[in-house]
Amino acid sequence: MSINILRLAALLYAAGAAAYVLFFARPRHRRAATVGFTLVAIGFAVHAASIGLACREFGGTEFFNLRGGFGMLGWIAAGTFLLLQRILPLPAVGAFVMPLVLMSVIPGVFGLGPETRGAIPSIVRLPSLKVHVATATGGVALFAIAFGVALMYLLQEREVKGKNFGALFSRLPSLDALDRLNQRLVRIGFAVFSVGLVTGALVAKNAWGSFWMWDPQQIAFFVVWLLYGGMVQLRHVGVHGRRYALLTLAGFALVLGSMLALGAVPNLTRHGGSFQ
Amino acid sequence: MSEVFLVGLSHHSAPISVREQVALSGEALKGALVSLRAAAGVEEAMVISTCNRVEVYVLADQAEPARRFFLDRAADADGHLYEHHGSHAVRHLFRVAASLDSMVLGEQQILGQVKEAYGLASAAQAAGSFVSRLCNRAFATAKRVRTETDIGRGASSVSQVAVELVAKIFGDLKGRAVLLVGAGKMGALSAKALASLGADKVLVTNRSRERAVALAQQTGGHPRDWSELAELLVEADVVIVSTGAPNHVVTAEGVHATMKARRQRSLCLIDLAVPRNVDPRCADLSNVYAYDMDDLQRVVHATRSARADSALRAEAIVEAEVMAFSAERDARAALPVLVALRRRAEEIAVAEAERTLAQVGGKLDEKGRRSVEAMARAIVNKLLHGPTARLKEAASSGDSALPGAAAELFGIEGEQEQAPARPAAATPAAAHIVALSEKR
Repeated sequence: MSINILRLAALLYAAGAAAYVLFFARPRHRRAATVGFTLVAIGFAVHAASIGLACREFGGTEFFNLRGGFGMLGWIAAGTFLLLQRILPLPAVGAFVMPLVLMSVIPGVFGLGPETRGAIPSIVRLPSLKVHVATATGGVALFAIAFGVALMYLLQEREVKGKNFGALFSRLPSLDALDRLNQRLVRIGFAVFSVGLVTGALVAKNAWGSFWMWDPQQIAFFVVWLLYGGMVQLRHVGVHGRRYALLTLAGFALVLGSMLALGAVPNLTRHGGSFQ
Repeated sequence: MSEVFLVGLSHHSAPISVREQVALSGEALKGALVSLRAAAGVEEAMVISTCNRVEVYVLADQAEPARRFFLDRAADADGHLYEHHGSHAVRHLFRVAASLDSMVLGEQQILGQVKEAYGLASAAQAAGSFVSRLCNRAFATAKRVRTETDIGRGASSVSQVAVELVAKIFGDLKGRAVLLVGAGKMGALSAKALASLGADKVLVTNRSRERAVALAQQTGGHPRDWSELAELLVEADVVIVSTGAPNHVVTAEGVHATMKARRQRSLCLIDLAVPRNVDPRCADLSNVYAYDMDDLQRVVHATRSARADSALRAEAIVEAEVMAFSAERDARAALPVLVALRRRAEEIAVAEAERTLAQVGGKLDEKGRRSVEAMARAIVNKLLHGPTARLKEAASSGDSALPGAAAELFGIEGEQEQAPARPAAATPAAAHIVALSEKR
């Protein structure tokens, strides 16, 4: 049941992404952006329903594999994007972020839920784990949007610096707006991710008996946290613009790489793919 | 039959000394409209009056009242007037509204001015249903041109390009400072244009202190000493340089030091001087955006040629709209003939059916009687089907000879006059059409 609703949500996201891309290609069609926003908003609600149903079906274990994790990531990213459009309306961002959201939802469309059905591990019921999962995915979602924005910054900078005032030049927002947005996303993402780090340690203490186990997942998490923390600090020293955008790209590449590596290699970490 | 006439003058045909004599606005324009409307033979009127053009549109039997409008105000307007009538006048209005006749092709103001002219004409009760239809079509045409072509896009002057560039770097200029170095004319123009982005502060510096003060007054900025230039570069975010100096006033080494002092905050350098005053190597520094006159001119040329391309497509749109408008108008002209023809036929059918029924009606039941009536009507309808279709076709293809011939052939000239007087006799649908043709 939940998977069919998820498929519907994916369709809505796809339509929303298409509308935003259309708006980007033809900025005269302002309505395309409005339609995109509505589609993504409906998709977000449908996705929420699917997540709620999946929780009933699988009892929470569905989030602890790559597909479920990415699905959750997409949901939070879509929500963050919608919120962002309310605060700082830059519909061009949609053309860059919505395809990312769609990509993160797609794996779940082919199969939802844990690979093996077993008893629900008791640690899933820990409140600190719930906070950990929510904040870790939330942080990654914010980093994902920052990635999209940084990409836009680099594209626009190439246009502005290269004195090439073509199609992208008129469609992309101003460098300053993109830079500030990127900075804000990194800062908020880092704060949310920090909560994830602390709660993650608490979960480790509860489940494994120690805060720090040199588990690959923990190491990856910590390195990412350090990197983004460094970026927040660098901002105060005046690093911005192109360098900051490049750092944002590198940071997210690290996040994505470690998520894929940890999810793809079985038994590399005690957490993630299986809890048995 | 009355026709639309246009008499006007514009920047194409008349010097400003003539244009300013006839240009009117506000109450004076309203008064002129009222007297224009009151002139003999004028059914409707509209006057477009902007700084680049004054045009009088009248629905009348001749152009004379519109000509008088000009000659009464400026005797020397005579040689500068242009006149069009019928579809040529319609085309002209559509082109004006779509900004195809403007000094700067594709500028957006003119549509608003035409709308204003129409509003005034309506308020003065000089505009009737024809002008209203004409103007609505003109607005629709302008909208089509704007959405279907690129005519209004891009920057068409150097200062506009500068504004667009700065907007793409900084968004707006709230809380930022613009520095004007040197007293070049282009520099002052661009500084003024940049003020539209909401710059908080405009700083002006020049080798001669007096020029700086004068320029500061002109641009609403603050004069600063030339010796402060290095500090000013740190303070400002956008720097416009246009001095007469033959060498680089802003050097790459200087900007490098400036960027350190600015803690790498973005800096936009716009060099409007020839020979250049800003070292081109500045553009290689990160977070420095440097442009010279060539860069800006290139954008202007690109915009102009793009607009010229768009203009071709825009003309095609205008042509299509003019044809559609004329066809619609002719179709309306043919309607009274059609209505009269139909009514005459209907009357004959009813009369003949009544006569027949009076003779043999007693032998028929209700169904039979209705059959007789239906038959009479059917014969008339079948007979008129061909002529009706052909008349409509002729009307929409702009052939006005056939409706006249039909009216003569069927002898319905006189009835046309009576038609509005007795709408009750017409069928409901016909009454609707009569009402429409009455308004015309």
